[in-house]
Parts: sequence; C-alpha cells; structure tokens
Amino acid sequence: MRPSGSFNPQIFLETLCSAAFALLLLYLIRSGAYLNYVTPRLKPYLYFAAAIMLIWAIGGALRLRLPRRRPRGAHCLVLAAPLLLFLLPHAPLTSADLSWSYVPGASAAALPSSAVPAPALALDAVSGSADFSAAADSTAAPPGADATDKTIVVADDYFYPWLNELYANMDMYEGWRIYLTGFVFKDPEVFQADEFMTSRLGMSCCVADLVPYGLICRSDGAAALEANSWITIEGVIHATEYDGWPEPQITVTGVAAAQEIPGYIYPFG
Amino acid sequence: MIAPVYVLTGFLSAGKTSFLNNLLRRGDWRNIKILVLQFENGETELSPPDDFCQKLQFTIAELELRPEEAARRIRRRLRDGEFDEVWVEWNGVAPFASLHSLLLHPLLRRHCQMRRVVHIADGAELEKLLGRTGQALPGQIASSDFALLRGGDTAGAARLRKLLRSLNPGLRVYAIDSYDDFYRQLLRRTPPAWLVFSAGAILLSLLYLLAAPPLTAAGFPVNKTVTVFLGLILQALPFLLIGVLISGAIEIFVSRAAIESRFPKTNLAGMATAVIAGFCLPVCDCASIPVFHGLVRKGVPLPAAVTFLTAAPVINPIVIFSTYYAFNGDMRVVALRAILGLTAALLIGLTFALAPPRRQILTGGALDRLLCSCGCREDGETADDLAGKIALLFRHAQAEFFHMGKYLALGAFVSAVIQAVAPRASAVSGQGAGLALSLLIMMLMAFVLSLCSSSDAVIARSFASQFPAEALMGFMVFGPMMDIKNALLLSSVFSGRFIARLALTAFAICFGLVFLFN
Repeated sequence: MRPSGSFNPQIFLETLCSAAFALLLLYLIRSGAYLNYVTPRLKPYLYFAAAIMLIWAIGGALRLRLPRRRPRGAHCLVLAAPLLLFLLPHAPLTSADLSWSYVPGASAAALPSSAVPAPALALDAVSGSADFSAAADSTAAPPGADATDKTIVVADDYFYPWLNELYANMDMYEGWRIYLTGFVFKDPEVFQADEFMTSRLGMSCCVADLVPYGLICRSDGAAALEANSWITIEGVIHATEYDGWPEPQITVTGVAAAQEIPGYIYPFG
Repeated sequence: MIAPVYVLTGFLSAGKTSFLNNLLRRGDWRNIKILVLQFENGETELSPPDDFCQKLQFTIAELELRPEEAARRIRRRLRDGEFDEVWVEWNGVAPFASLHSLLLHPLLRRHCQMRRVVHIADGAELEKLLGRTGQALPGQIASSDFALLRGGDTAGAARLRKLLRSLNPGLRVYAIDSYDDFYRQLLRRTPPAWLVFSAGAILLSLLYLLAAPPLTAAGFPVNKTVTVFLGLILQALPFLLIGVLISGAIEIFVSRAAIESRFPKTNLAGMATAVIAGFCLPVCDCASIPVFHGLVRKGVPLPAAVTFLTAAPVINPIVIFSTYYAFNGDMRVVALRAILGLTAALLIGLTFALAPPRRQILTGGALDRLLCSCGCREDGETADDLAGKIALLFRHAQAEFFHMGKYLALGAFVSAVIQAVAPRASAVSGQGAGLALSLLIMMLMAFVLSLCSSSDAVIARSFASQFPAEALMGFMVFGPMMDIKNALLLSSVFSGRFIARLALTAFAICFGLVFLFN
C-alpha cells in the first residue's frame, strides 16, 4: 500500500524552492546576468543544474500528499537564501573590489599554435562551449589592425584576442601605434612610479578569481592618472621583458577619459 | 473536538507498555480521559488504573487488510467516549507510514491528530537491532520527536545519542529517569515547517536590507561579500549536484557484495584504481566529496577512497589544462603539479593503510554503512524496477544535496567574508621570508580562500612576483585537497577526528613533498 494522506509541508517547500531556483538559473542564463558571477564555460553546467532542480520539483509535486512525520522547513533555506540574495539589490564587482594582482604574461597565445595542448580537447568536450581557436591561431589577427599605417584600434570585444595576438607576435608589432581602452590598474607592490596597466578584469572560473589583464604602459604622467578610472590610451608597442617574462609594453603618447565598459573578459572562454 | 494523538514506537520488548502503565498511574493524570490504541500484543499487560482509560487492540494484519474497518472502529470509540487524549502503542516491526496513513484516513482526520511521537529503546539492544531488523525501526526513529533510552551503560549512552541523531538530527534524546523534563517537552508545541522557513527567509532579507547600508558605510564590503558568495555558490552548485547524483547511483545501484567481490583486494591496486577514477572524473572538489562518502558507505577500503578524494581534484584534465594555460605553457609546472599531487594523494592514502582509524569515521557510525540514513526511504517505499530505482536515486541525491548544501553555503560564505576583508593579496609578501615560511603562508592561504581547483592556478600565478615557485606549487597541490569549504562539506557526514587527521596529514605531506622537490 502506498501511503497517502494530507498535504505535506516539507515536500511542498522543497518543491517550491527547487522550482524557484531552476527558474532563477534559467533567468540568469537567458539574461546573461550569470556572467557577473561565473564564466560562459559554466553555462551548460547551469542548464544541467536547472534541469535537475526541475526534475526534483516535478517529483516533489507528485508526492505532495505523502504523509511525513516531523516535516522540516529550515533546510530549504539552502536554496532560498542564495535565491533571495540574488534578488536583493547588489552590484557587479569592479576594479575597485580587486583582491588579486597582475598576472605577468599569463597568456596562452605566447605559445606557437602547434603547441595547443591535448587537454584542450578534454575541456572542450566537458564544457561544450570552450573555443580556443582564437588563442591558438596566431596567423589570423583580430579585427582592428591597419598594416599600412601600422596602427591597431582595439575594439572592446577584442581586448583579450588582441592581448593574445600581441603576446604571440610581439616582435611583429614592434613600433606599431595602438589605441586601447581599459581601467588604470596601479599596484605599488608591483609597478614603478611611471608604470600603470591599461586593464580589463578577467574571470577564469568565478567572480572570486577576478584578475586584471592588460598591457603595461609607461608614461611620465602615470602618477597623475587616478587608479581605477577608465581611459583610452594612444601609444607605441615595444617588445620587452617584465620580471623575466617576455611581454609587449606600451609607451604612452596620449590619454583620454573613457566610458566604463561593463562586464568582464573570460580568458578560458 | 480533535483529540491529540501521542504515539509510542520501539522494537518488541523495548518497554512501551511499561512506559504507558507508568504514565497512566501518574497522579496528575487522574482527570484526563485517555483512549489507548494497541497494535502489538507484548508480554506486559496494559493495566489502566481506572475508568478514565479505555483500550482498543488491533493486529497489523487487520490494519493492512481492512484499514477502513479499523478506522471506523476507532472513530466510533472516539465519538462515544469524548477522550482528551489518544495514546498509540505502535508495532515494532511495522512501517511507521502505515500508522500515519491510518490517522490521516478521511474517517479519522476530523477526530484526532498526531501530536507527538516518542521512541522507546533498550539502550543495551538498540545498536544490534538497527543493523538487523530492516527499515521499519530506523523509519520509526526518523519519524519520532523524542527518544527515551532505557538501560545501557553511561559510556554507551553518548554513542547511542549520536546514532539516533544520525537518523533524525532533530531528535531529543532522554534517559528514562529524566522524566519530568521529558513530560514538559512532550506537551510543548513546535512551530510548523512553513513558519520556520518563512521566518528564516524574512529574517535574512530584513537583515540584508537593514544591516547592509551601515556596514558598507563603516567600511565593510557587503556588496563584494555577497557577490563573491553568490559566485562561489553558482560555480560549486552544479558540481555538488553531479557529486550527489553519482553518490546516489552508488547507493542505489552498487551493492556492498559487488564492492567486496570486485574491488581490488590489495591496497596498492585499490589506490591505483582510485587514481584512474580520479583522472576520469573531470570535476572539482565539490563533486568528489559526496562521491567519497558514497564509496566509504559502500565499503570501498579507506586508503583507496582517500586517494580518490585527494587525487581527483588535482590530477583531472581540466585542472591540468588550466595550470598549463595560467603558467604560459610551462610544462615543468604542469608536470610537477600533477606528479606532486599524485604522489601526495598516494602517500596520504598509504597513511590510512598503515594506521587505519580506530573509530568509525562516518558520523552515522556503523549504521550509516548498513542503511541509508538520508531519509529518502522513510515512507516505507521500496523500488524493485529500474524506474523506481531511478526515482529513489533522485530522492536520495536531493536529501544529500539539502544536507551537504548547508555546509557548502557556510564554507562559501566564510570564504567570501575572508576574501572581502583580507587586504589585497599583493600586500601579503613572501619576499625576504625563507622558503619554509613562504610555503606555509601560501598553503594557509589556499586553505582559507577555498578556490575551485580549476581556477586556482591563475591566482597562484598572480602571486609569482611575491612568492617563490615552490610556494606557488604548495598552494596548487594542497588547496584542492583541503580547504575551509571542503572541511565543512566533509563535516556534514564525517567525524571531526577524521577530518582533522586528513587535513593535517595532507598538509604535512604536501609541505614535505614540495620542500623536498624544490
């Protein structure tokens, strides 16, 4: 005999929270708001989580009349608490919230294209969305370069591809003019007085690991630039070394204030 | 009038009838009219003192074959007698759900309502009975509000309390001599589930809305804490789900007998199997902990299970690739991380082979190995066909998710607060410190930051200008094996003694290995 009885408050709460959390996950994915917390690589995993929550919700709805002694409710806060916090007002993190410092030369494009490792395939198979072709193929430069003028205008969406391209072929771009928009990153522990980095925040897994990615700029006016302010710089690319790592740097010739670019860059795709 | 129903559960000869006789003879119960429903005919006779008490007796067969008839008899007696209370002496080997269904029968619903369930147990016998007598007894304990322990020695009492609470975390356990306190508690009302839930949700929202502005004004980064917390939750949640689903599959589909006959017999072969399994499971530490729990519960030897737990998050393909990426394709770093991680995992496993823990490492004790205590089988349902088993798998996974999720949320919160209040990491400088101290700082940092093992290489790299390469290696080898989040997740099902031993062993071995190979 399958026991049946009156309304079961515990299963109702579990069903309600699972369904609400599934809807929240779907909303975060559809609106793109999840990118403020995790990388695009997590998208299929979030779909998976939403699917499991929906299965639980449907399973729960079918068992709503199952009798249960000592119905509990507090455990449902495991889902309800993050759900409420997602809905309550809070803002995406900015450069002012940074915990981590500059990562010198952490760019896959410094490798020749043939050296893209086999595990990339494994990662691709798991996440289903990782696309390493841009990082791997150093022969195709991102849009924005004018070879006749030897000028690069880095569009906001191509910040990271250009970073890779410059690391991969820094000798080729020696002496080129570049226009780049980012925030002023200064870290007295790392940089000299005439140095700063024109940066964007990069997320490799979740918002807890935001790291500034960018190019080190040299300018006599560096001290006058306010940290974390958004600027567009004009400068000349030089292939050099920093802290023992080969890297391209920019000698700044002009600085203009810029609008903040919302969102982050995602080095792992 | 709806009469409150008090239920006594317990195995045969646990002392249910004696308890009831004792209760009915109390002086202050003289004027209370009581109906006793007996579903068991034990050795002790129920001897009510006077006319205020009447009894009705049923057999379990009667109830199962003709539930309608049983409900009708009880309703008739309740209507005629105008009782103040109903006491039920339930059968020790029948599932609790049968009684619950009877009391929720449409004929009885408006006449009586279950108020409290008391489980009575013989302290000297309980442990033996639980492993041998099927699902009815643990189901009764899981449904009870109170447990009264009779007999048994004082040393065993603490263990029994732990055992009972592993089946029912909210159970109040009393020795039978603390009678007055028990009696007071018995008649107290507890808030309903929806009220506890709503109160928690409203309190959290109010706390956030009221406390956030003054805290932010005082310099505490509330926004950063909340955003990092949500980021950690969103990132860890799918992996915890994968973990509890695999753990559920192990629980439902793999028998202990299969593990005993097929799993490699020697420790070395077992640990090698664990390493291969760890490599093939491309998930982070949040998933490997529930799987580890499932393996231990099914009787996989501890050295192999521990090797799996510590190896999986360091040597899986995602972690290897992210290290390669973060360190600019430096194969030495990638190889060293994998080799040191693997060696450390094997050595940690080996320590558990050389000196096996003397006590139970699961908080549920021996019982957790024999029966699933997650509550998913509480309603007495069994599943023999594939569809039923899959449904049970999902319910098992759900129960384990809600249980472990609390600890994950707590770990994510602690980690978020630490990240928010700690000074920018570059201010923590290892320059000038000796190698041992730098290594120690970075390993402690890995412990408190609780980063996902698939992203920690980038963070390790960001310390490159302040710390020597060996310290970064310590960060990347030890961090995935043990951190605040993992320790809290483990504490949901494992004993503190075991977690402390695992953490200290992992710390010492990782430190020693990195130090030796510098």
